[in-house]
Amino acid sequence: MSNILVYAEIEDGVVHDVSLQCLAKGREIADASSGKVDCLAVGSGIRAAAEGLGAFGAEAVFVAEDAKLEQYLTSPFKKVVSDFLKTNSYDLILFPATTVGDDLAPAVAEALGVACVLHCDGLAGDALTRLEFDRKVSTTYKAEGCTIASLKDGIAVAGAPDSSRSAQVSDVAVELDAASTKSKVLRRDVAKKTVNLKDAKIIVAGGAGVGTKENFSLIEELADALGAQIGATRAVVDAGWLPADHQIGQTGVTVRPAVYIACGISGAVQHRVGMLDSGKIIAINTDKNAPIFKIAHYKIEGDLKEVLPKLVKLIKA
Amino acid sequence: MSYNCIVIVREVWDTRDLTGSVLADNGSIKDSMLTRFEPEDMNALEMALRIKDEHGGKVTAFSVGTPKQVDVLRECLYRGVDEVVRVDAGASSLGTQAAAQLLADAIGKAGQYDLICVGVTVADGESSMLGTHVAGKLGIEQVSYVDAIEEIGEGRVVGKRGIEMGYEYIEAPLPALLSVGVALVEDDPRTPRSAKAMLKLKAKKAEIPSADVDASAVTSPVSIAGREAVPERAVESKDVAAEDETALKSMLDDVLKGE
Repeated sequence: MSNILVYAEIEDGVVHDVSLQCLAKGREIADASSGKVDCLAVGSGIRAAAEGLGAFGAEAVFVAEDAKLEQYLTSPFKKVVSDFLKTNSYDLILFPATTVGDDLAPAVAEALGVACVLHCDGLAGDALTRLEFDRKVSTTYKAEGCTIASLKDGIAVAGAPDSSRSAQVSDVAVELDAASTKSKVLRRDVAKKTVNLKDAKIIVAGGAGVGTKENFSLIEELADALGAQIGATRAVVDAGWLPADHQIGQTGVTVRPAVYIACGISGAVQHRVGMLDSGKIIAINTDKNAPIFKIAHYKIEGDLKEVLPKLVKLIKA
Repeated sequence: MSYNCIVIVREVWDTRDLTGSVLADNGSIKDSMLTRFEPEDMNALEMALRIKDEHGGKVTAFSVGTPKQVDVLRECLYRGVDEVVRVDAGASSLGTQAAAQLLADAIGKAGQYDLICVGVTVADGESSMLGTHVAGKLGIEQVSYVDAIEEIGEGRVVGKRGIEMGYEYIEAPLPALLSVGVALVEDDPRTPRSAKAMLKLKAKKAEIPSADVDASAVTSPVSIAGREAVPERAVESKDVAAEDETALKSMLDDVLKGE
């Protein structure tokens, strides 16, 4: 029997999609072993979103709310989650593999002295699998006792909510001491979500090789012609050419469009992990040794300023 | 004010240009594999060295492994680290949590420090938060996915943390641990410095001291149950000449079929 707790990451009143995927995966394992799946949500102003988790398959939802928990920080969140787990026992605790989940999961594991495996893309019974060595090896981990894991985007499909299901919702007392409130968030620069890259069928993405903000008009024209969404690498976002909601990769979104057109993207691993599973990849780059060419279905060695207008012309023809 | 910085560095398998399997027939990692300096650890090292350049102080590098596995420590000396410490892991390879325990033991014995920097490890697509485990064991504050140090001084450090859709700026009291997750592009001003010939000559034969910790006393709650080779992603790659409009047209027809 597996009793599972899913950490529900909630941002702006919305449960993170990967947390819902963890819940779907947890539900699957619990059903197969006559176990249960509960959720724990930590933050401020999260109650409405947390209550909705019942419709996604949670049996009980625990809500730890406190104004001091408005923004994520390792120590206070670690304190709340580990305090909760000291009085509530679970076999498996699932976190989304996000910058919050991957930060919190090992911190909680340390506080409790239990096993921790991050970035899993497979979970069957007590076996956790993870792709390693540039996705050349799939390693299976087994842990003893209570286990904490973070699961990657794509682990399961977050099903549609079933309004006939509901969860028992209870409040968790939050006790923060001086030791857990030493750090603080000075400021956050977070983009509002204006694009939906996850559901895009076609993505035209630009990297540092686009060269200037003005040159992004070339990418826009191609995207318009194709009815595609525009993606970017971290370098582009850092340069201020596009807002961060366009970012694909390790700290951006993971996408799986049917067609991915990589323009001036060298293909650093941090970007690759976010788009590797695209159906067809077209890469356009002036550097014939760019790592992106190793995963591209179509390799075009050339200047974007020449190639992109040509593609637009051909599509419109 | 000067700072005592610690850097944790790792030597990892180099999978960049590898074709064929990583695994030997018995399921272990092939002996013929080459290793390299974990790139994000290298960025962490650069961060620490820059603090020393600017504020003075000392940088000490720690690495877990057998004497053969710690060429990275020598590489650290070539780049200007003051001291290196090898942490012996015994015969077997340790999991992240056990390695973190040994590192925390060794760092705890090394005396006063202000800041610990370590990479996040994404080079191979996997991720392990060694730093978070070390910080948890040492009982110090930590910030992960740190792209840059915004400020250090008055007993605190401000880290710029890369998160989904942007950045946040976290202030933590010293001593603190930063897990560095920089996605550097070429010619980035933060690019790690290279080894210096002078230091290379000086440190080539330098003795690498090891920490007094007991690897047999730590256990890992996680064990590897098996490894399986993942078939190479079958990408049928076609070269399309940039000036050949017919080829470009047929490529577009092909990928847009059904879209």
